[in-house]
Amino acid sequence: MAFKHYNFSGGIWHSPWVGLDNFRVLFSTPATIQIIRNTLLLSLLSIFVGFPFPILLAIMLNEVRAMWFKRIVQTLIFLPHFFSWIIVAGIIVTVFSQQSGVVNELWQSLFGQSFAFLYHEGSWLAIFVSSGIWKEAGFSAIVYLAALGSIDASLYEAASLDGANKWKQIWHVTLPGISSTVVLMFILSMGRVMEVGFDQVFMLQNSTVSNISEVISTYIYKIGLMGSQFSLTAAIGLFESLVSLILVVITNRIARKFGSGLW
Amino acid sequence: MQLSASEKIMVSIFYVILVIAGLLCLFPLIHIVSLSISDTHAVASGWVTVFPVGFSLEAYKQLFAGTPILRSFWNSVQITGVGVVLSMIFTILAAYPLTRTYFYGRKLYTFAIIFTLLFGGGLIPTFLTIKSFGLLNTYGALWLPGLISTFNLLVLRSFMENIPSELDDAARIDGCGDWLYLAKIVLPLSMPVLTTLALFYGVGYWNSFFNVLMYMNDTTKYNLSVLVQQMIQSQTMLAQMNSSDSADQILLTPEEINSAAIMVMVLPIMIVYPFLQKHFVKGVMIGAVKG
Repeated sequence: MAFKHYNFSGGIWHSPWVGLDNFRVLFSTPATIQIIRNTLLLSLLSIFVGFPFPILLAIMLNEVRAMWFKRIVQTLIFLPHFFSWIIVAGIIVTVFSQQSGVVNELWQSLFGQSFAFLYHEGSWLAIFVSSGIWKEAGFSAIVYLAALGSIDASLYEAASLDGANKWKQIWHVTLPGISSTVVLMFILSMGRVMEVGFDQVFMLQNSTVSNISEVISTYIYKIGLMGSQFSLTAAIGLFESLVSLILVVITNRIARKFGSGLW
Repeated sequence: MQLSASEKIMVSIFYVILVIAGLLCLFPLIHIVSLSISDTHAVASGWVTVFPVGFSLEAYKQLFAGTPILRSFWNSVQITGVGVVLSMIFTILAAYPLTRTYFYGRKLYTFAIIFTLLFGGGLIPTFLTIKSFGLLNTYGALWLPGLISTFNLLVLRSFMENIPSELDDAARIDGCGDWLYLAKIVLPLSMPVLTTLALFYGVGYWNSFFNVLMYMNDTTKYNLSVLVQQMIQSQTMLAQMNSSDSADQILLTPEEINSAAIMVMVLPIMIVYPFLQKHFVKGVMIGAVKG
């Protein structure tokens, strides 16, 4: 598919082979290069900014002794995971709306004028990344909670007998205890670098910020499916998959050096 | 355990942060609820923050009367209901053989399945495949490609692997075949993980957006996600609504209608969520530890 010039009359079998032509077009058009750059930017930002939050949440939840409190907090922070991006984006658009969104009301009373949060690149990025965190941080914490639960309780006893305070216990017992899980989650998230979720970008983007918000998946949808440029976009898709595979293999190699690989 | 003063401070800071985190997750929802039931005038002037100001169900009334939301709701229910049943059946039937040690080629099949996690063909070839199967514009296009989620399959497989093999031996001596063993022993024992998977599949189908957008050309087949998305992204539907309505109806702000539409989509999840919450934490943890 990616190495052919696909047309409808020929179908998949009878379209002519074009070798690497599609890839040549792909890497020489500024538009597609920008899209690949955007994809990397958005996902790396999401991963690196978002990565610590579930860990912190899990560690804090782990220190909580009151079970009812823990249960309520868990219930609340898991909830956003079950909403689709349609809902989340709908909430965001409503809350940040320039005419009567609640954030802009606040902004207006503080600074005297409204601000189009979703139409400036900087604030759009911030909203994009933080909406991802809002939706998924709580749920990702489950994994770390599970890892924390499997830490041997006698280690904490020994540490406190040796005079380690809470802070030191977290640093020297808790963190090493979940480090392999952390590495594992990191490898998995590296595998997803190339695929920023379509729904999230598609719902939040608008033409004003398309310079930074157009990513591979939305591009494939718009140009490939709507514009019927099947071969070119199939080439992008293949490129995307290949890069993810390579990234997973590399991160796994590195992780295995530290003794905790995925395979 | 005795806590020193500084430790007490630290733990209470944890509590405070967690309360804030919990509230952060809750507030946007309450805000949407309030918007959808507040008085139009209050919404338009931006008085509504957390709690509703005034009370009016006008938004819902117009939503149900002026948009095809009931039809999309029913579409969503169909997609979800049939999808969950199909997915569960096939996931179970795929996971069980992979746990049998006497199943020849088990490693190869497992690898082939895991490979799909790491490397995919991409969107366009998938689309063309669906098209050539003649599934465009049918819900089969939604059910078939996502019939088995690899992740869910692996979770179920690792759970089933933990069932002691002595049970298998005993059942076999008593003359129990594979089907009976699966139905009478394995499935009842896997109940917690099965409910979790059903929840995941259900939420997945309920929220499915991109597939519907891509494979359905017929607007009458749109589900809630796509409808709500279109309402949010374009106000044309609202404009149409307002123009077709009689003059005595109150003109509503888009925020209100959108909030009401979001509520229709959120409510079913909110209703199911508390019942399944205790199950899925357990289920996810099993998957996470073993996965």
